[in-house]
Amino acid sequence: MSTITIEQMLLQYEMEQFLYDEASLLDERRFDEWLALLTEDVHYWMPIRRTTTSAEVDKEFTAPGAMAFFDEDLTMLQLRVRKMTGKYAWSEDPPSRTRHSVSNVRVIDNTGDEITVGLNFHLYRTRYNSSEDSWIGRREDVIRRVDGQLKLAQRHIYLDQTVILSQNLSNLF
Amino acid sequence: MTEAQTDVVDQDNLIDNENGLVDRRIFSDEGVYQAELKKIFARGWNFMCHDSQLPERGSYFTNYIGEDEVIAVRDDDLNVQVLINSCPHRGNTVCRAEQGKARSFFCSYHGWNFGLNGDLIGLPGQDTFYRGGIDKKDWGLTKAAKVESYKGFVFATLDPDAIPLDDFLGWVGRLGIDQIAEQGDVEVVDGVQKNIVKCNWKLAVDNLFDWYHPKISHGSAVKQGMLTEEFLAPMNQMVIMGEYGHAIGGAGVTEEAQQRLDKKYANVDTASNRKNPKNSNSWRGEQSAKDALGPVGIRSKGHPNIFPNLWVSTGGTQLCLRLPKGPMETELWWFTFVEKSMAPEVKRRVIQGAIHFFGPSGLLEQDDGENWSHATTGSKGLVTGSRPLNFKMGMGMDEVLIDPNSGQARIETVLTEHAQRWLYQSWAEWMKAENWEDLIKSHSPEPRGTF
Repeated sequence: MSTITIEQMLLQYEMEQFLYDEASLLDERRFDEWLALLTEDVHYWMPIRRTTTSAEVDKEFTAPGAMAFFDEDLTMLQLRVRKMTGKYAWSEDPPSRTRHSVSNVRVIDNTGDEITVGLNFHLYRTRYNSSEDSWIGRREDVIRRVDGQLKLAQRHIYLDQTVILSQNLSNLF
Repeated sequence: MTEAQTDVVDQDNLIDNENGLVDRRIFSDEGVYQAELKKIFARGWNFMCHDSQLPERGSYFTNYIGEDEVIAVRDDDLNVQVLINSCPHRGNTVCRAEQGKARSFFCSYHGWNFGLNGDLIGLPGQDTFYRGGIDKKDWGLTKAAKVESYKGFVFATLDPDAIPLDDFLGWVGRLGIDQIAEQGDVEVVDGVQKNIVKCNWKLAVDNLFDWYHPKISHGSAVKQGMLTEEFLAPMNQMVIMGEYGHAIGGAGVTEEAQQRLDKKYANVDTASNRKNPKNSNSWRGEQSAKDALGPVGIRSKGHPNIFPNLWVSTGGTQLCLRLPKGPMETELWWFTFVEKSMAPEVKRRVIQGAIHFFGPSGLLEQDDGENWSHATTGSKGLVTGSRPLNFKMGMGMDEVLIDPNSGQARIETVLTEHAQRWLYQSWAEWMKAENWEDLIKSHSPEPRGTF
């Protein structure tokens, strides 16, 4: 590995702090503050993963525009938040207890205005007395500098499950 | 004092048609479940895939018949074969991916190799170890007893005595599939959503006929303006019930409203409408669709279920297959369809609708799983399991109407539980019948008169 610069360390720290703060907003159900961190053109996407042979592993994930579990713009994410915090939203009432952990954060690309960050995530959820779900995978987030503030411009979620082992995906990743 | 659950369930008296009661143990009992695998799933016709998922020689898609994993594959003659995914030597799976393309199926245990039609075409040590003591033609993969398709929708059965698919579907099952097939040249969008719900498969099927729940279960979607109450719980209901358990329940277009639609569609060109994001649903105005669906069928906009477990959903743009994984667990598989000539933005709208409404992340569907799983878990209780469930809504209150020209029969009414009662009544008939010969004789004809 080449020499690590102070600038790289500062950027790494800045990205990690942003991601930790953002994760805590989701766990504390401060969804409006979370929405305020998104850019107008945010793309939030979780393709479908399939078990393929090694020879066809390039077809493991569905392509953009094909079927997915999430393929959302800002309007849709706002709707999801209104839905999960509104009345009659039984999948979140009683509310899920969630814990978002992020690790292995790596700066993949940095254009100055936009930083692409690869990371591993673990979203843990419990409901009622004994219902337990765990979603682990990789994310590729694009974090953009907008008027001196960091905002999330892209969240692409690559889950390590083919068949989703839970009854729903009613939480934000 | 209610009677406690006993170890052995009397499977002949679980459904009380006279009183609209269903014994809850059908949702949790292991003995009932094992009988279902044999008498319903192995005996019946199971949806495998759509033709478009197997575009060329060697294309395969793995699925299940009951709990037996099968490979639907396009063979060297371009026919679809349905092969049991289990090597006859030691039982290992011979296909370990969900979908893809293969030249043959090679067992990773000892190297037995099977052709696309299931024949054993090679094995290590045939001369040196077996020394002539094996005849390859006896040791191919087990095949489904019959594979047939209706308008590109492929089904398979494990029972050689099964009646032809077309007869099994009858007009009601065909009408269900026509909701997709008659839209034109349809194909499956890449990506089948799959997830697990800890519920009995029948509760998921029951729910698709249930227009009583949406205002409550999916009230959050109404509150957010995603859907209107009228759309979620339409006042004009049409119920169509077919032989062998197929049914369609939900919104019905009145004859007067249909006349208005006919006028609206009279000068509409479906081909160009497929390019128009605002109106891609005009296929229902085509003469070919009217002929296929019939005068009653064209007015049915409800949810069809192809017995036992295939829901034609989302206005004919999705199929949801409910695969049993034990008495208290079900996998839901969502297939999404578009018409090939649709403009990209029309296709995108169909796909976005599928993602946003249904599947595990869908804003409607995500609220269903908990209801079904709690209803399933509850049926295990000593007291809860012994109190039958109420399916009495509308019982004996409606008349079956028959269209004089087509003979198509239906009930036009308000919200009822007719389709659910038909589902459980038919289920009981499948469970009681010893074999196909018996089922052909003993199953109920389409209801007539008061239902």
